[in-house]
Amino acid sequence: MSVQARTWRASSRVAVLALAVLIAGAVSLSLGASGLGPGDLWRALTGTADPATETILLRLRLPRAVLAALVGGALGLSGCTLQALLRNPLAEPYVLGVSGGAAVGAVCVFVSGLAVTLPWTLSLGAFLGAVAAMALVLAIASRASPGGMDTRVLILSGVIAGAFFNAIILLVLSLADLQSFRSAIFWMMGNLSAADWEAAAVLAVFLVPASVVVLSLARAFNLLSRGEEVAYYLGASVQRVKLTAYLAASLMVAASVAAVGVIGFVGLIVPHAVRLAWGNDHRLLLPASFLAGSAFLLLADTVARVVVAPAELPTGVVTAVAGVPFFVVLLMRGGRR
Amino acid sequence: MLRGRDVTFTYPRADAATVQGVSLSVTPGSLLAVAGPNGAGKTTLLRVLSGSLAPQEGEVMLDDRLLGDLDDRERARALAVVPQSESSPFPVTVREMVGMGRYAHLGPWQGVGSGDRAIVDAALERCSVGPLAGRQLGELSGGERQRARIARALAQEAPVLLLDEPTAGLDLRYRMELFHLLQELRADGLALLVVTHDLNLAARFADRLLLLDQGRERAGGAPHDVLLRETLEDVYEWPLRLVPHPGPGSDTGAPQTVPLRRDEM
Repeated sequence: MSVQARTWRASSRVAVLALAVLIAGAVSLSLGASGLGPGDLWRALTGTADPATETILLRLRLPRAVLAALVGGALGLSGCTLQALLRNPLAEPYVLGVSGGAAVGAVCVFVSGLAVTLPWTLSLGAFLGAVAAMALVLAIASRASPGGMDTRVLILSGVIAGAFFNAIILLVLSLADLQSFRSAIFWMMGNLSAADWEAAAVLAVFLVPASVVVLSLARAFNLLSRGEEVAYYLGASVQRVKLTAYLAASLMVAASVAAVGVIGFVGLIVPHAVRLAWGNDHRLLLPASFLAGSAFLLLADTVARVVVAPAELPTGVVTAVAGVPFFVVLLMRGGRR
Repeated sequence: MLRGRDVTFTYPRADAATVQGVSLSVTPGSLLAVAGPNGAGKTTLLRVLSGSLAPQEGEVMLDDRLLGDLDDRERARALAVVPQSESSPFPVTVREMVGMGRYAHLGPWQGVGSGDRAIVDAALERCSVGPLAGRQLGELSGGERQRARIARALAQEAPVLLLDEPTAGLDLRYRMELFHLLQELRADGLALLVVTHDLNLAARFADRLLLLDQGRERAGGAPHDVLLRETLEDVYEWPLRLVPHPGPGSDTGAPQTVPLRRDEM
């Protein structure tokens, strides 16, 4: 197949996934406690809908859908990035302890009562916790591998830091009152019920530049997957690529955990599904993981909103319950090929 | 041309230098073989020459510049390396892997052009892996995989090529094919260095041979000057005989090493 044909095929796959995101978005907007059609959405966007419909769509469902798409994209892209960086197919966005740090921050906000009096401090606490974890893990890994960041040391530092954060969380929760305890547990399962335009905008501020940086490393990731020595011989600036990838991916994870809590499995399953289906060229894999993550989380969040309406499930529970069987099927099909 | 002058390298916390005061030059249109017992410092020497390890003493020059002064992409355009082995948790096709050789020629957002494609195709053909381009690398035999890795190095279009034990684990035919390929590349004007345990093929294909022992140069020069019974018995600590290659062919008479059995001593 010619270069043009391959480029066209990759572009059309990205286009198909982008379309899937739009369709998932439309499904997410029309399903809910009150069913709304595409006509209602159009009227709401053009300002000719009745006020109730307009409020539901533009102030509740649309920002939530946008946030779901951004978080899903961030988790898919960062999961894929960390798999490439650590050369480990089991890597996922939370493997390096960022989510643990975020959870410590969030739990402290819940227990201190700030979450009730000043709700915005929850995201801030989670973000600061995540960034602190990111810096701590990097500091440990750098000190422990003086010849340049050793990714085996990095993964070990991340896992150990994560275990430590879990212990801190349990310690703080064991002293918490029942209401804080319940809120904290619910937050840790991940949910998008508090979505608004502000949260989506704040996430986008971090996500857009971090995504551009990661996408620019796609070729270097291909080289890195052959091993660091090989990547070096082929001309990659290995240490710079690794550090940039770590910082960009961690920042994406930090911002998305701060926005919606810890939503699991998306960042593990989505990049894998794309790898199984379309191979390991990161030039396609990275954008495809972003878009597939967006579409997947949009649908999962719709399910979370709809199945026990008017109550809601935590989105993170849906992603795991729906994602794991889907992935097992994919894995078995891949194995037969 | 790649030159090492009095290169010394000691690993952190090691008692002795792994490579000690070695000088060599890899010149266009010639094949230099580096041989020596396990642990003689061959791979370390190759890593120093390729810039992946910085020598504590001496210097490595690429043409008239210090190797360490080149940035990573510049270096990869001037110097290609086929390391001993590699593995990946993520499978790729042969074409994808050979295409990686173009990395140093492309910007982060630059698409692969028809020129790059022609170079990758030529490298695939050159190493006789063209028909395997669409196959997964993991499905190939050891010899085919090794040729694909050399094709990737050729796609770098670097005038200097270093190979670390490229025939390890290959059968007779693949070993011969590989050295014939190196001979063709030499005829194309490439400067080649090959680290090898195969003294017999080195004697037949290499222009010069560098024998390392405990990090130092034990002997260097034309193969028939280096491959002497006393030297080899001393370096390898094993009795052996040298016999001339019986021919036919241009390498008739090349010294072939035959190690003796214990009961023949």
